[in-house]
Amino acid sequence: MRRTHRLTAAVAAVALTTLVAACAAGGGGKVGAGSVVKGQKINGGTVTVAEVAASPNDIFPLLPSTNSNGYNGDLTLGLWPPLVYSGDGGKSVVNPQESLFSKLTYSDNDKVITIALKPWKWSDGVPITSRDFTFVYNLLKWNYNDWFDYVQGLFPVDVAKVSTPNAHTVVLDLSRSYNPTFYTDNVLATIPLLPQHAWDKTSATGKVGNYDESKAGAKAVWNFLQAQGSDMGTFATNPLWKVVDGPWKLAAFQSSGYYAWVPNKSYSGPDKPVLSKVIWTPFTTDTAEMDTLRAGTSLDVALVPLNDVRQISALKAEGYSVAQVPEPGVAEILPNFYAPVAGLLLRQLYIRQAMEYLINRKQIVQKAFAGYADPGNGPVPVTYGQQWDSPLEKAGGPYPYDPAKAKALLAAHGWKVVPGGTDTCIKPGTAADECGAGITSGEPLTFQFLFASGTESYDEQNAAIQSSESLGGIKLTLKSEPFNTLVSTTGTCNAQSHPASICNDWQLQQYGYNEYLMDPSGAGQFNTDANGNYGGYSSAEMNSLIDATEYGSSSSAFFAYENYAAEQLPLLWLPAESQVFVYKSNLAGVTPLNPFSGLYNPEVWYYTKPAS
Amino acid sequence: MTRYLMQRIGQSVAVVIGVMILTFILVHLEPGSTARAVLGLKATPAKVAIFNNTYGLNRPLPVQFWLYCDHVLHGNFGISYAAGQPVSTLIAQRLPRDAVLIGISTLLALIIGVPMGLYQAIHHGTVRDDIVAGTWFTLYSAPDFMEALLLIAIVSVHFHLLPASFPGGITSIGGLFTDPSALVLPVVVLAINSVAGFSQYMRSSAIEELAQDYMRTARAKGLSERMILTRHLLRNAVLPIITILGLSLPNIVAGAVIAEAIFNFPGMGLLFWQSALSHDFPVMLGATLIIGVATVVGNLAADIAYGVLDPRIRHAV
Repeated sequence: MRRTHRLTAAVAAVALTTLVAACAAGGGGKVGAGSVVKGQKINGGTVTVAEVAASPNDIFPLLPSTNSNGYNGDLTLGLWPPLVYSGDGGKSVVNPQESLFSKLTYSDNDKVITIALKPWKWSDGVPITSRDFTFVYNLLKWNYNDWFDYVQGLFPVDVAKVSTPNAHTVVLDLSRSYNPTFYTDNVLATIPLLPQHAWDKTSATGKVGNYDESKAGAKAVWNFLQAQGSDMGTFATNPLWKVVDGPWKLAAFQSSGYYAWVPNKSYSGPDKPVLSKVIWTPFTTDTAEMDTLRAGTSLDVALVPLNDVRQISALKAEGYSVAQVPEPGVAEILPNFYAPVAGLLLRQLYIRQAMEYLINRKQIVQKAFAGYADPGNGPVPVTYGQQWDSPLEKAGGPYPYDPAKAKALLAAHGWKVVPGGTDTCIKPGTAADECGAGITSGEPLTFQFLFASGTESYDEQNAAIQSSESLGGIKLTLKSEPFNTLVSTTGTCNAQSHPASICNDWQLQQYGYNEYLMDPSGAGQFNTDANGNYGGYSSAEMNSLIDATEYGSSSSAFFAYENYAAEQLPLLWLPAESQVFVYKSNLAGVTPLNPFSGLYNPEVWYYTKPAS
Repeated sequence: MTRYLMQRIGQSVAVVIGVMILTFILVHLEPGSTARAVLGLKATPAKVAIFNNTYGLNRPLPVQFWLYCDHVLHGNFGISYAAGQPVSTLIAQRLPRDAVLIGISTLLALIIGVPMGLYQAIHHGTVRDDIVAGTWFTLYSAPDFMEALLLIAIVSVHFHLLPASFPGGITSIGGLFTDPSALVLPVVVLAINSVAGFSQYMRSSAIEELAQDYMRTARAKGLSERMILTRHLLRNAVLPIITILGLSLPNIVAGAVIAEAIFNFPGMGLLFWQSALSHDFPVMLGATLIIGVATVVGNLAADIAYGVLDPRIRHAV
């Protein structure tokens, strides 16, 4: 039986409480999370999971600021899960069964959070207590600038005081009110508990103490754990990393990215692993992985590269089943509102609207992504099919493909529309029927469109966009660059830095998608001063709506923000690719995949044999 | 000879220093922010500042270069931005494996190519010569990725005879032989492209030698054809191959990026390629330096071997 509760920003006057039936009758957790179970369950067995270009290089769960390797999360998530476990199956919800809290209570106008911890234990038998939370808090309090996941102004900086009334209760006094949904989903869900009784030390041979309680001590412990965490040769042997609270323990690790999990026999959670081992085996490239899958070897679970989804029928013939999961993110064309000439054009909402009308997203989903993509109707993927999707987005978004509307919009704003050619401004000026501020007579409607090279689906998508935009006389010149080159240029740009010359070199960019945590908030992307606002979009209304989702308590705030963003087009919305997986057909429990917690939950997987 | 060697070594050191300077300048001309490329789009200005400070990227370029040279002279190639590991460790893991893989394929190519060249030389101008040359040039002309994918499709996917890739997680030379059958396809693909080169150099050289007076003299003295070919022709005709082998050394060190990518073999080629894509300067500089050293050492070794094998050269210097 699965029981799922969603923390909602509900009644403002009273505390919000989420009660969890952690040990509800029937077990709860993720077992059988949607899979159709065929045949008889087998205890034990080894599953080999293929990972492409995945090389974890740090095992300490609080990564230093210089380490952006996302694969480290895959390595550690099964060993030290976060306080709030993100995702239940494919759903964007908190999974209370897998979470370490038994109750979360927001009070005092959502400024105080009381966290009740479950009576779970570390793998060495020591109880998990509130001291483990304060250990994490103390480490981060004195080292947050060196923590990769630190977000400006959020945890631990926003915590005014932490108190622990008893061994299983933590009370956080925040410096301001937050929307409980936002804070639970996007802040508490990023914080693991760590074993103070084993890790609060400053050297390998030193004794465990309460070093984290002083600034100097916390820094010494941080430095020690960071040094140990980056020593790849000892990941599987260091006594520190043997103390876990997740369902798995690390049994082997090689610097190539190969590693193996075995069950944590002392795991307190509801889903005790059935498999006896999970092996993560690295591949240098998509090609090598696909060839190995096609050769029918011992790979049990693998991500199918987008370029190869058309080979799925061949993989089915090799005994694999197929699953897909939407990316928790938004794909887009990023406009540079500060590009010298193009920026003047892109600041005009009607031009962005015309461009969006000319993107045939449904066709792109089918042709470029073989059907494995979210349609990209707005800032939130609708393939979640859940609480985040506004009626406007569900209905296809404000700008479905419509070349006639695009041409009419441009003509109504003083452009000579030349389908198949290049539109030119014939009515400069700022009146409602004129081209807009700074746009001169004869100005052509042309843009350079940079995109990340190396992905066939992107090539097809952008060629299709180039073609369909030309139907409205908008000329795009395509240019591909390596992903890192694009990112290294784009990432330097935001509202503060945009006047700099380095931000003037591009007009439109497409590099993939921006990932969301559970709450697909626009915070950090579309606010004027957001670090991720690379195109320089700025709107007081947008800022206010985003603040309402982050700090307010209105349940309608999210849809208000979502609809406004969908209509205002801070980005041009594109289809967001899904991730497609294959898994051996006799392996149960793999689906639905959980994109919010490393995709895989092998603790609920098991082999089956045909029923006799 | 000693003076000649000292001169050549001096030239080699100068070349290596030149390679270091040139590479350092080139990698720093790469557009965009290194910190952004490594940390990704989510990096805040504070994190970028910490990154730049950690790796000394906020210092003037000449200072960075001076520190780099100082570290290299002390055996420290720096820390990879992407992997977070010492560059020397990354290279030490990959280089020996590449050396084994490419070494075996080179040996196989020699074993096939040298006799093949001799055979063609003996039968030069005949249909047999044309058939052999045409076959190897056809294989040589085909891109190696195409040959690799075709072989995988036929041998691994269709007939399930050999593995399509190396097992993941190989970190040692010994690991290469845990499943020796996985070595077959990459060795064959790498060898195919070398055989044509070796055989054609051997063919040209042997044809030239066959026309020499000493060959006629040997025949006039009544030596057997077998004796003439092995004692006289092979020893003299093989000299150009020595040069090619010497020049192959940097290839062994630089890896074989396409074969590595297709056969799941994380070697020097992929390391260098990925570091170039991710602005991982320390790895790029370290790998380039190693390749540069291998190039000059290969040239030097070829020169010395040439001198040893050919008394005319030895005595001339």
